[in-house]
Amino acid sequence: MLSPALVVGTALAYLAALFALAAWADRRGAAGRSVIANPWVYALSLGAYCTAWTYFGSVGRAASGGLWFLPIYLGPTLAMVLGWVVVRKMLRVARAQRITSIADFIASRHGKSPLLAGAVTLITVVGIVPYIALQLKAVATGVALLTTPPGAAAAPPPAWWQDPTAAVAALLAGFTMVFGTRHLDGAERHEGLVAAVAAESVVKLLAFTAVGVFACWGLFDGPADVFARAAADPALRGLLRLAPEGARFAHESWSGLLLLAGLSVLCLPRQFQLMVVENVDERHLKRAVWAFPAYLLAINLFVLPLALAGLLLGGGAAQADGFVLSLPLAHGQPGLALAAFVGGLSAATGMVVVETIAVSTMVCNDLVVPALLRLRRFAAAPAGWLRGIRRAAIAAVLGLGYAYFRLAGEAHALVSIGLISFAAVAQFAPALLGGLYWKGGTRAGALAGLGAGFALWAWTLLLPSLARSGWWPGADLLQHGPAGLALLRPEQLLGLQGLDGLTHALVWSLGANLALYVGVSLVRRPDAAEVAQALRFVDGAGHPAGGADAAPVFWRGRARPADLQALLARFLGPARAQAALDQHARERGLPGAAALPGDARLVQFAETQLAGAIGSATARVVVARSVEEEALGLDDVLRIVDEASQLRQYAQALEHAGAELRAANERLQELDRLKDDFMSSVTHELRTPLTSIRALSELMRDDPGLAPAQRQQFLAIIVAEAERLGRLVDQVLDMAKIEAGQADWRSAAVDLPALLQRAAQTTAELLHGRGATLVLELPDTAAGPVPPVLADEDRLLQVLLNLLSNAAKFVPAGRGRVVLALACGPEGATVTVQDNGPGVPPAQQALVFEKFRQGGDAAHRPAGTGLGLPISRQIVEHFGGRLWLRSDPGQGATFGFTLPWPTAPAAAPAAQDQTGDPP
Amino acid sequence: MFQGLTAQRLLALFGAGWALLSFPLITLWAPEATLLGLPLLPLAVFGLWAALIAVLALLVERAGDA
Repeated sequence: MLSPALVVGTALAYLAALFALAAWADRRGAAGRSVIANPWVYALSLGAYCTAWTYFGSVGRAASGGLWFLPIYLGPTLAMVLGWVVVRKMLRVARAQRITSIADFIASRHGKSPLLAGAVTLITVVGIVPYIALQLKAVATGVALLTTPPGAAAAPPPAWWQDPTAAVAALLAGFTMVFGTRHLDGAERHEGLVAAVAAESVVKLLAFTAVGVFACWGLFDGPADVFARAAADPALRGLLRLAPEGARFAHESWSGLLLLAGLSVLCLPRQFQLMVVENVDERHLKRAVWAFPAYLLAINLFVLPLALAGLLLGGGAAQADGFVLSLPLAHGQPGLALAAFVGGLSAATGMVVVETIAVSTMVCNDLVVPALLRLRRFAAAPAGWLRGIRRAAIAAVLGLGYAYFRLAGEAHALVSIGLISFAAVAQFAPALLGGLYWKGGTRAGALAGLGAGFALWAWTLLLPSLARSGWWPGADLLQHGPAGLALLRPEQLLGLQGLDGLTHALVWSLGANLALYVGVSLVRRPDAAEVAQALRFVDGAGHPAGGADAAPVFWRGRARPADLQALLARFLGPARAQAALDQHARERGLPGAAALPGDARLVQFAETQLAGAIGSATARVVVARSVEEEALGLDDVLRIVDEASQLRQYAQALEHAGAELRAANERLQELDRLKDDFMSSVTHELRTPLTSIRALSELMRDDPGLAPAQRQQFLAIIVAEAERLGRLVDQVLDMAKIEAGQADWRSAAVDLPALLQRAAQTTAELLHGRGATLVLELPDTAAGPVPPVLADEDRLLQVLLNLLSNAAKFVPAGRGRVVLALACGPEGATVTVQDNGPGVPPAQQALVFEKFRQGGDAAHRPAGTGLGLPISRQIVEHFGGRLWLRSDPGQGATFGFTLPWPTAPAAAPAAQDQTGDPP
Repeated sequence: MFQGLTAQRLLALFGAGWALLSFPLITLWAPEATLLGLPLLPLAVFGLWAALIAVLALLVERAGDA
């Protein structure tokens, strides 16, 4: 055993460290270097789902039911699979409307109903306060386990002023007050609190894993050894199965637990607080939806081995809740036992702190403030009261929790509260999820569903638990029903049998809840306020935070900006009110708050700001009091939605037109650049021959004694360059004409074989001069004459000569071979010019058709203008063909084009010769 | 309601996860056998659980922000 002073001292030191960490995180946040603006911290903070009930209790559950502790974690995993879709939508809605609690969320969705907010808050208090008590009990049990000598009877609980658990509760209340009410506006993040909770998640995971490792490897030969011995023990073998020997697998209970835990992870006030309210950036959710389930998996890895180890070493299933502490303590590891206690403490405190802040926010906004609004003294200056109310609510929640713990002690009502709590908050699911995806839900439907669900929960689950604790005079009640009415027996309601208590309660409470939510909602058409909020929740969350300007504003009436400013100042303080209004004015492009008109958007802005501080339902009430409102009818709401969606359509159309304009502008700029490129290329090409002509002419002018042979050579170069210049000018003109569509085209029947022969004769000399052979391949005339194609004979010849002279330039000297071929296919006549030169590298194949881009590298570029191929391509395209290039490097190049047959080949008689198109 | 490819993939994964981790498919692992010295049932449940998380991570981390 350990000395009480050591245990209590460690606990207090741990809490002090928590204070320091939270204070540090708050300071970092204030300095703009937030620690919680991190997806891992966000994911770890969600680990507050694992409370002391799971830290100690899972082992207990595993010791009596084997794998049955798992659905509590598998359910949230399945829920998180849809988290990226569902929770993200909740995040967006909550951010847009500054929603700060689950009560606010449900009430706001159903027409900002204060009654609904109050109902959700009451259910939460009834369902959650015992759960907080359970955490405190875990701390107390831990202390007792560590400090009681083995075998000794448990000491009676000390008076509350000597009780270390009371000190822990008081410290936690202080912690929550300091770090949970720093900002009055609940929509602002609690940096320190979230950082502390995330750190606690790490502590409990490490501590639990350490004990698990010790049990498996310190006390046994690894997990395989633990499992093997358990399998050999007839008493333990059943724990490795889904159901004990001879019993059937109660699969409906398994599925019920999956569903319950999956809904709870969304509906528990602390999870809603951490997941939705404290979320800094919705992208963090992307990490959290898988990292949080991974955390759950990690913390559960050693639960079953620990339970089996404890049982194998002689512990009874009744003491299994304490195995995490008793195993290391009994086997000479007091340090490890203390660490395990700190892990349990962190599980308890993390839950208590977050749950308390969430519940106290609800109590303050949805119960206390609406009641106090009747008080004139409060209504005159509420800002000064709000912080006090929050703190009082925190103290009250923790005080109630402690009182319940002292009262209930070892009672069944406390031990079983974990799942009972889950079942209570699961009642929020129909209104929460239904309201998020179904526009038809109404205030009446939500109230009826919640009311019925809560009543059935109390009757079928809470009451039996109280009766088992002996607090209810009638154990009779469970047996025979109230006043002997067997049909109303809490655990066999209307005679429903064959289910365990929890599943039975779930079927009734959730079933009735859902049925009434849908059924009562369908009784009447939703009113204007309900439709307005339904639209905001169901449709309005399509886009992250943005689009607020385009969102419809459902308000009509008269408001004076000064009244609204005064209202904000009363609740938020004058400085914050001024800052918020200035910010709003800037967003609307106005110079300052003074310039704001008293319009619907201002009213909505003020209401949303207030909602962050006092909840949306209460905010609605106080805003309605300080402005003159006209009641909106359903038609008005629908008209406003219509107008807003039209506005959005206009905005989209405008954006679309803008995009088109931008594209056109970019295209124009591109064309302009191309024109500039062309001009500079032409100038460059003209300058090269001019430079050499000028240089040679000057040489001859300045040196009269130049040898005649030299002079002759220079003159020959000048003439050649002048010819090249002339050719270039011709081609540029030609190109310009073709591109401008002003070329002189003739269209006549062309006899291709004859044309090819002419081209071959014309270039024969040139090719021969380079030692190359030209092969002409024409189709076999036996199959009939080649039909004529419709084209301009001179232009086609120009193309052929260009291709042939190109080939002549590139074939290797002395052993060149050029094949000019004609083939007839169903689509047209294909002419190809194939050479055995070096070919064109793939990267350049597209470039050779561009103006002034010549093939080959700069050093070995043959003479040419760089316009031949572009012109050829234009010509071929004019006659409906396409000039292409096929070349594998080293294999030579093949240029070719296909000219289509005239649409009616027979209708191209020779009589049409010389019928040219007009220029 | 669940528009977009990622949302529909997640919905499908949810269905698969629910089916694999509840009755009747979970009883596939009921036979008493061991793998690497560990009993089949816990191993299978934890394995399926880990696989579910891995696929989930893959799906959401690759998804765009839309």
